[in-house]
Amino acid sequence: MKPTPEQIKKINHFSQVKLENCQKIADVVDLQSCEPGTHLFKEGDRGDTMILVFQGQVEVSKEMMVKTSSGFATSRKSIIRLETTDPKPESKPETESTVFVVEAPAFGIGEFSLVLDNAIRTAHVHSTTSLKYGVLKLEDFTKIVKENPGIGGNVYFEVAKAAVNNLATVSGDVSNLTQAFFYALSR
Amino acid sequence: MKSNSNNHDIESSDIKDIKLNEVLNANKNLYDKLNKIPEIEAIQSIEVEEEISEFIQDSSGWFSIILSRFKSSYSENELIRYAVWSLILIIISTSALTVVEYDMFRDSVAGHAEGSFIFGGDEPNWVDTFFHTFWWAIVTFTTVGYGDVSPVTHLGKFLTIIIMLLNFGVVTLLGGAVASVLVAQKLKGDENLDENKFNKHLIIAGWNSTVPNILKIIEDNKDANPIIILVNETEAETVQRHIGNFERLDITHISENCTQESVLKKAFLDKADTLMILPDSSGLLPHEEPAEDKAVLTCLTAKSISESCNVVVHVINSDNVSHLQRANANEIVIPQEHVPHLLAKHVTDPGVPQFFDDLIVQEERDQGLQEVAIPKALGGQTHNKISAFYKFKYGWLLVGYAIRKSGFSLDDQMGESGSPLIRNMIKEQLDGAGVSLTSDEHVVVEINPPDSYVIDEKHRALVLR
Repeated sequence: MKPTPEQIKKINHFSQVKLENCQKIADVVDLQSCEPGTHLFKEGDRGDTMILVFQGQVEVSKEMMVKTSSGFATSRKSIIRLETTDPKPESKPETESTVFVVEAPAFGIGEFSLVLDNAIRTAHVHSTTSLKYGVLKLEDFTKIVKENPGIGGNVYFEVAKAAVNNLATVSGDVSNLTQAFFYALSR
Repeated sequence: MKSNSNNHDIESSDIKDIKLNEVLNANKNLYDKLNKIPEIEAIQSIEVEEEISEFIQDSSGWFSIILSRFKSSYSENELIRYAVWSLILIIISTSALTVVEYDMFRDSVAGHAEGSFIFGGDEPNWVDTFFHTFWWAIVTFTTVGYGDVSPVTHLGKFLTIIIMLLNFGVVTLLGGAVASVLVAQKLKGDENLDENKFNKHLIIAGWNSTVPNILKIIEDNKDANPIIILVNETEAETVQRHIGNFERLDITHISENCTQESVLKKAFLDKADTLMILPDSSGLLPHEEPAEDKAVLTCLTAKSISESCNVVVHVINSDNVSHLQRANANEIVIPQEHVPHLLAKHVTDPGVPQFFDDLIVQEERDQGLQEVAIPKALGGQTHNKISAFYKFKYGWLLVGYAIRKSGFSLDDQMGESGSPLIRNMIKEQLDGAGVSLTSDEHVVVEINPPDSYVIDEKHRALVLR
């Protein structure tokens, strides 16, 4: 089964793409579904696919070093949850969220794969409800962009915007961590 | 020609005088007019809160003072506690027996007091009966038991049984309390200090010749907390000789080593406002220099007991400043740093050192440079308004502000930048490692700021009185 062009347009990255062009993207995406607790991305893996989530909730988490009573250990820490609002997930998430839940009509994850060949996955992603999603391959997307450069402009602009925002946050993090580091050293 | 020019000179000097007088008069008029401006009148009508609060305290009267004294001594002194309970028990049992055994006690009064004074005149009334029952209660409670009166009804005897059993416990406790008070008085040298007295007090750790002068200045400033604890190992007689003649101050001397945690806790450091650490010359010969590492140790110990306590340290050797900074001392006083300035100013700006001498060294009671609270009504106003307030209301010159700055806060510094995840992780990890996210607050001064400078509640005024 294929998604409708309207479904594609709900995703932020494709919001500026004309509906007839969304149809072209929809044509190369296969609709799939999965159970809660399914791993979609593993941190550190390389991949050339972007996942378009049309219904459900996913949790993004990262491996981090934390201090425990018995010393230092790495543990997976949730960072954020993403949830669709149009339509809402079929059921409540399996576990209560301990982190912020970002809501969007539908969303895409792994968008850097649309730009980079074999982009590294920067975090784990797993489903917390049953999901309806589609997989967009870099290869297919590149072909569409070659035929319709306008789509590329629209999509790459959105991806760049997300990347710039991420960069600003990361630069804030680096500055916070540096300050905390010096602060802790001077105590 | 010459005389002419002379005349001209005189004329011009006359004109200058007249002009000067005009300017001065104009200034005087301006000053008078300023005094009549409604805003200045409004400023003059602003009351300092302390005056109001004093008034409230006055009007609440002696009753509440006695009540609060009683409350505190009740909670502290077990002797008073048991005595109060005994009294309550005696009064209750007297009342109960007066009611239950009224006829018996009344007849007994008639039989005993024949011919002598009784309240009822010819016939004993309820006052006589009550007093007689009270006599019976005391005789029973003290276990003297004359047996001249005793209850006759079953109910009266039953009540008496209960009273005697209760009394058994109360008398034992009261006796124990008397014994413990006697023992405590014998051991008075090692007593603990009265905890309720010490709050927001000053602790001075270390003893040297400057202490009496420090105490003198604190004594002269009426607003300063008079409760002071001295911690040093100097002989009690020496200390007593120097602190004997202060009227306002309430000074306690703890003759122990101030670097010890237990000693600082005994001085209620956790409740103290300020800990002043001085070079300690306890037990040193006149030519010996005090060991300053003791000050660093005291500071470290103090900060481990109470992070929030304001620690002021006097150091002689500026090498120790870095150690004290690392030990989180709030203020470090280094007299050596002032000396070169004062000496040089004698050459470059004669008069300035004398000015400081007059201002600081020869400070009179309620005169000189002082820090005062700014009335809350003036919060958020600009410097020129505050300045006018002190000028017109008290005739004081406002020279600047002392601002209590809460120290560097990592939390504030990070603000909303970066991802909340990382910020929370930093906070959690530092918290877990026992690193406080804020450094201590300290005082900074702002001298002669521009007129438009806005003050907030952290500002206190530095005035020249």
